[in-house]
Amino acid sequence: MSDTITTLHALKEHLYAAMQLEHATIPPYLTALYSIKPGTNVDAVQVIRVVAVEEMLHLTVAANLLNAIGGTPDLTRPGFVPSYPAHLPDGETDFKVSLASFSKETLAIFKKIERPRLAPGSQKLVKRLYRGSVSVLASYPGASDMQYYSIGDFYAAIEDGFDRLEKEANAAGKTIFIGDRKRQVTSEYYYSGGGELFPVIDIESARSAIRLVMEQGEGAGGGIYDHERELAHYYRFDELDRERYYQPEDRPGHPTGPTFSVDWQAVYPVKPDLKLSDIDGNKNPELYEAALSFNQTYAEFLGQLTLAFNGQPQLLLQAVPRMFEFRNLMGDLIRNPLPNHPGQYAMATFEIGDKELVRGVAIEEAQA
Amino acid sequence: MSTKDHSHHFLAFSTEVSAFATFELWATGQVEAYLATVTAAVGDEILNELLFTYEKICLETEGQPSSKRKARLRREIFGSEKLGPVARNIIKLWYVGTWYELPTAWFEAFGVRSKDVTFVVSPAAYAEGLMWKAIGAHPAGAKAPGYGSWASPPRIPAFAGEHANAQVKEVQVNRNEGLAK
Repeated sequence: MSDTITTLHALKEHLYAAMQLEHATIPPYLTALYSIKPGTNVDAVQVIRVVAVEEMLHLTVAANLLNAIGGTPDLTRPGFVPSYPAHLPDGETDFKVSLASFSKETLAIFKKIERPRLAPGSQKLVKRLYRGSVSVLASYPGASDMQYYSIGDFYAAIEDGFDRLEKEANAAGKTIFIGDRKRQVTSEYYYSGGGELFPVIDIESARSAIRLVMEQGEGAGGGIYDHERELAHYYRFDELDRERYYQPEDRPGHPTGPTFSVDWQAVYPVKPDLKLSDIDGNKNPELYEAALSFNQTYAEFLGQLTLAFNGQPQLLLQAVPRMFEFRNLMGDLIRNPLPNHPGQYAMATFEIGDKELVRGVAIEEAQA
Repeated sequence: MSTKDHSHHFLAFSTEVSAFATFELWATGQVEAYLATVTAAVGDEILNELLFTYEKICLETEGQPSSKRKARLRREIFGSEKLGPVARNIIKLWYVGTWYELPTAWFEAFGVRSKDVTFVVSPAAYAEGLMWKAIGAHPAGAKAPGYGSWASPPRIPAFAGEHANAQVKEVQVNRNEGLAK
């Protein structure tokens, strides 16, 4: 079953899933990044920051792809932000992605997220069963028990889908690229965001966009650098793991650049996958309120991005300062000891959805 | 008073005198560093005296209007020749991340200590100074607010004035826990 995307609807749903997938990596990367104590681990901070920024670029590229074929990016759809830990595919098995502090274990998961890997045969989809409440990323839209073998296969299926559907449309004298060009986000609206953003308007630009996402993550066709001569995410994380930089012409797994050291102790140990319900709002109203208002601000931010991806790209310029605010708010939470959990710290819970509806009630309770 | 009690009382006192919530003090990431700074600069004994005096005032004014507590703080801590300069230094520490050498009259009366010199506690302490939050700005050269953000007016948080009163309840709760130990 290599022809997995045969309708325009399925392609749109896959691109929505791609946006969801690209976004889903951002909270874990940011949590690890801001758990590092200020002034320490400058190499690790730089590596994780670059990767996080490029994931934001990928999110935008996925929105461009969806807009190109007349889709409607919606980051406010319930379930867009997964409930952590979320499941991601990794060949025969899968793995959990958590919101956690920077550590050897967290880094191992990050490497799994970006690992270059494709299904050995033509079978891209594998069948898996999950409990209903589990967030499964890169599953086949509309058939949550079918999951792609790897993230690479997921994007390969999308590229095949574009090719097939455009060929079919062309044969009928049509095209699938019917999207409003003004909805395309280009570099002028995207400040220093980890790469060049070009409009997706035809099959060539669509292929380039997909390639950009795949190469920045996993490397170009087995190489460690992408076409812009930038190190792929997997190998950036590998550098942290090995405490040594890659340089051009290095083989995967054998960096020969300068060494550096990682201080694994200079980290605030947050409670992994903290939920708002783990914080007693009566005893710790300030902490509870800060965690709650982060979620609400983040939900508003996703609403703003949705507008930006639906014909108002200039809104992205305002989103930049907002992201710096998130850095400060997340840092504030991560440096607060978590009451009743000795030795563990708080963090942003990224519970986006029904939780904010109870905001008013929760505040009243906290004040009572 | 063990170090653990120290940090507990130090936080309660700092919350009272900085007018920031305890959450905000932890958020600076500087609690341990500042406690160590004060301890080194004035010694355990004087810091203990300051924190015990604060605890006593809280106990004895419990249930009374906050103006009573504030008046006694002013008289018995900020008006004290010994404790006043230390208390003021703790406020400055939170706001600018710098320990200022105590006045000559103070160390002539209460002893010279080698760590009582003017210094910025750390680069992070500079960036985490509460004064930046108080004025709704970012520390120059650190914590950049993002491209284009200068086009918007600063957003000054609403904590000034009587906000400190809202924390009285919490300070008392902490103090009771402290006594139970």
